[in-house]
Amino acid sequence: MHATPVVHTDHSDHIHPPPEGFIRKYVFSTDHKVIAFQYLAVGIFFLMIAGSFAELIRVQLWNPKGTFLSFSTYNEMFTMHGTVGVWLVVIPLVTGALGNFIMPLQIGARDVAFPWLNMLSFWLFPVAGLILFSSFIFGLPSAGWTEYPPISLQYVGTAFWCLAIITIGISSTLTGLNFTATVVKMRAPGMTWTRMPLFTWATFATALVNMIATVALSAALLALFLDTVFHVPFFEADKGGAPVMYQHMFWFYSHPAVYIFILPAFGVISEVLPVFCRRTIFGYKMIAFSSLAIAILGFAVWAHHMFPSGIAPWLQLPFMIVTYAIGIPTGLKVFSWLATLWGGRIQFSTPMLYALAFLITFTFGGITGIFLAAVPADLHEHGSYFVVGHFHYVVAGGSVIGFLAAVTFWFPKATGRMLHEGLGKLGFWLFVIGLTGTFLPMHWLGLEGLPRRYASYEYFLARYPDVVFWNRVETVSSFFMAASVAILVINMIWSIRRGRASGINPWGARTLEWTISSPPPYYNFKKIPTVFGRPYDYSEPLPYRNLDNDVDAYPAPMPAPRPNPSLGGR
Amino acid sequence: MADQLTGTKPQVIEPKGMGPGFWPVMIALTVVNLVIAYIILFTPLDWLLPAEWNPVADRAADIDLLFKFMGVFGLAILVYVTGFVFYAAFAFRRRPEEPANSVGVHLHDLPKLEFWWTVIPTILLTVLVALTIQIWHRIQFGTAASALTTEVIAHQFNFEIRYPGWQGSVFTPPDEMHLPVGKPVRLLITSGDVIHQYWVPEFRLKAAAVPGLVQNLNFMPTRTGTFDIACSEYCGINHSKMQGKVVVESPQAFEKWLAGAKAHVRTGPVAVAKGDAGAGKALFAQKCAVCHAMGPFDQKIVGPGLLKITDDPKHPKLVDGKPPTPANIANILQNGYTGPIGAMPNRQANGLSDKDIANLVSYLVSLK
Repeated sequence: MHATPVVHTDHSDHIHPPPEGFIRKYVFSTDHKVIAFQYLAVGIFFLMIAGSFAELIRVQLWNPKGTFLSFSTYNEMFTMHGTVGVWLVVIPLVTGALGNFIMPLQIGARDVAFPWLNMLSFWLFPVAGLILFSSFIFGLPSAGWTEYPPISLQYVGTAFWCLAIITIGISSTLTGLNFTATVVKMRAPGMTWTRMPLFTWATFATALVNMIATVALSAALLALFLDTVFHVPFFEADKGGAPVMYQHMFWFYSHPAVYIFILPAFGVISEVLPVFCRRTIFGYKMIAFSSLAIAILGFAVWAHHMFPSGIAPWLQLPFMIVTYAIGIPTGLKVFSWLATLWGGRIQFSTPMLYALAFLITFTFGGITGIFLAAVPADLHEHGSYFVVGHFHYVVAGGSVIGFLAAVTFWFPKATGRMLHEGLGKLGFWLFVIGLTGTFLPMHWLGLEGLPRRYASYEYFLARYPDVVFWNRVETVSSFFMAASVAILVINMIWSIRRGRASGINPWGARTLEWTISSPPPYYNFKKIPTVFGRPYDYSEPLPYRNLDNDVDAYPAPMPAPRPNPSLGGR
Repeated sequence: MADQLTGTKPQVIEPKGMGPGFWPVMIALTVVNLVIAYIILFTPLDWLLPAEWNPVADRAADIDLLFKFMGVFGLAILVYVTGFVFYAAFAFRRRPEEPANSVGVHLHDLPKLEFWWTVIPTILLTVLVALTIQIWHRIQFGTAASALTTEVIAHQFNFEIRYPGWQGSVFTPPDEMHLPVGKPVRLLITSGDVIHQYWVPEFRLKAAAVPGLVQNLNFMPTRTGTFDIACSEYCGINHSKMQGKVVVESPQAFEKWLAGAKAHVRTGPVAVAKGDAGAGKALFAQKCAVCHAMGPFDQKIVGPGLLKITDDPKHPKLVDGKPPTPANIANILQNGYTGPIGAMPNRQANGLSDKDIANLVSYLVSLK
């Protein structure tokens, strides 16, 4: 035998030829980039559906009597808005679409660890959507996105809801497993944990949560399914069941789930800020480790959704204290981002505008979260519009803004074309104005005594006559957000055909995905690059060797297009 | 290819001091925060929290104090963050005349700063924990032992209120909930069907009504008035129509109301003689047979067997100790009973009309 071990240094012979034929290329593809596009397309389709439901809700609330929809239809609409929004829009978009596209490129990998499993994860997603919507034959689920028994047991739609969410849960678990393995095993040589890009860190923390928490939800939903269909009385008190048990199991998943929403958005902000401040990220280690801290602490706060719901009073305290404690790593992130702005050379591109808005809207959502964590105050705020306002500031003002920053930032990499900046900025302003107008008034309406999930607020009108005015402000504003999403979709379709060519690195960014061509080739990296530093040090040369393309050691943003006199100044 | 990257080193543009106009901006933000703190602490906040300036329950002022503490510090953080984002976006904006590859300051860590922005929020949150636990303790245990126990049983879609009646029984008044001002009240909250929530915004009081679980709340109304009760947990199609009222009045007025309500419920005993035993039999199967067998006394389901109830030497007395006359049976059906031996729901809980009671009594009497 030979004494010298064989060391693989040249990986180019490992490149498989791209698949042939439409089906293998675009439908049942195992390529993480194609899968990301599939997630993006289906996710945005469901985003428009969830958005339409939200608009129906808002139109209903134009009048205090609420006569636009019947009460039962209204209840179906807010249930489906929440369900679709959480499981078929936000989670697939921030993990399935963003994680799939960006993470393997950032760590210098040719694909995820288990490409076939990745394809399976994706295909479970539209199947879950079909199961959920097929319930319309019997009546859509209508007990809210939380589906608390015993009320949920009164609707047949709950059974479909359970099956759909179990299906999407399997998809999430598999994606979590896949991404964990990918980040642990497939980083380019030299990319140590503390040289990993921050979006990858966030995706890694998200993947751990996805992998661990989702299983608990599946167990809860299986029990709820059996109770709904076969009347196995897990949650029926008069037959010996425990309704509150469901809430524990549900929130054991669903609180970590909001960290599944928000951690990837944190990652996006950590990537976008240094690029458009043209300076290194401040507090790399703090940002990276706080993602993990949030993911871990996030498992021990679930009962803060249940303070008035019938739990032992002393049990309220530990959950409250851990919830407060999450404010510390979250605060560290926000302060580090603010410090990144300090001393930068800030460029106001569309993704940067979204990132700056995120700092404000997310901070606001985080602070109202502290209000809800305080048990005595929560005993007033729980179940009111204050909660709706807080939640949407975190999800729309956090996850969705992060997602919009990501789409406008990585679109050139994914397609090789620039988005139209003017349309992008118009969409940005519509979104933040709409967000503020829709969700800010909810805070004082809730504190004044308006409970959530009311199809009609005649009761509240007598207490607080201004409610009609504020609800109308919310309704009008919500259409601003709808317009913003429509503009984004139009912008993407237009730009794929007519957008300016982006080249390899239009923003002058420094993570690995910006060293390969746009769109990336099938194999991503012909040669696997070597990494010997963090990607964010703008005054240093790029910390890579063995790149596929000749790139500048100090990447600079592509110059803005000059007015062309031959086009009449355009 | 590309093993050694080349390019010109970028020009680093360093800010002078903390940046142009940093301190004036920070001072302005501090002034804004002081104004906000003044408004939160020293002006009426009724536009945000109902009855804040003149609290109507003992717990309300405590909860509002906590709310204001979080409001002052939370909004201060928000104002500084927002102000800094706008300031930085202006002060550190890229100028068009800069070279294409100009970069910002190379500052990646500042251990002292990071230490302080970890420690200060930790201290703030620790103070908040201490304050919250104290207020939580007062809310949980601070109200004196109560003289009055009131039961709330939520149904789709109303709140049934019950007060203590005679000999340990309870009764439901014909109108809304009344409470005496300045007297501690013990609320027992449960549900007859699905989960609801009992919320009185002015009291800052909320508890879920969960089937199979009784939640126990102690508090004291401190001001008279009429306040809304709203259901704040989704409970079905008419969730948004599930409200009630609570009237807080002087103890004298309350006692008068209570006596009147009792009298109202008691007046006009049901004319049992006119009952129809056949209709009573059908009603028994529908309403009573879940808990009571039509068999001998010791054939117990939840309650005892009721065969020959008026004429059985094995149980000469009803559960309330009275002889089993038709009028006394009707009284239990009407007002219910809760005592050491067992409990019997009242007519509201069972949905019994006068006629139903008469029919049931006729049926039971007919089984001699």
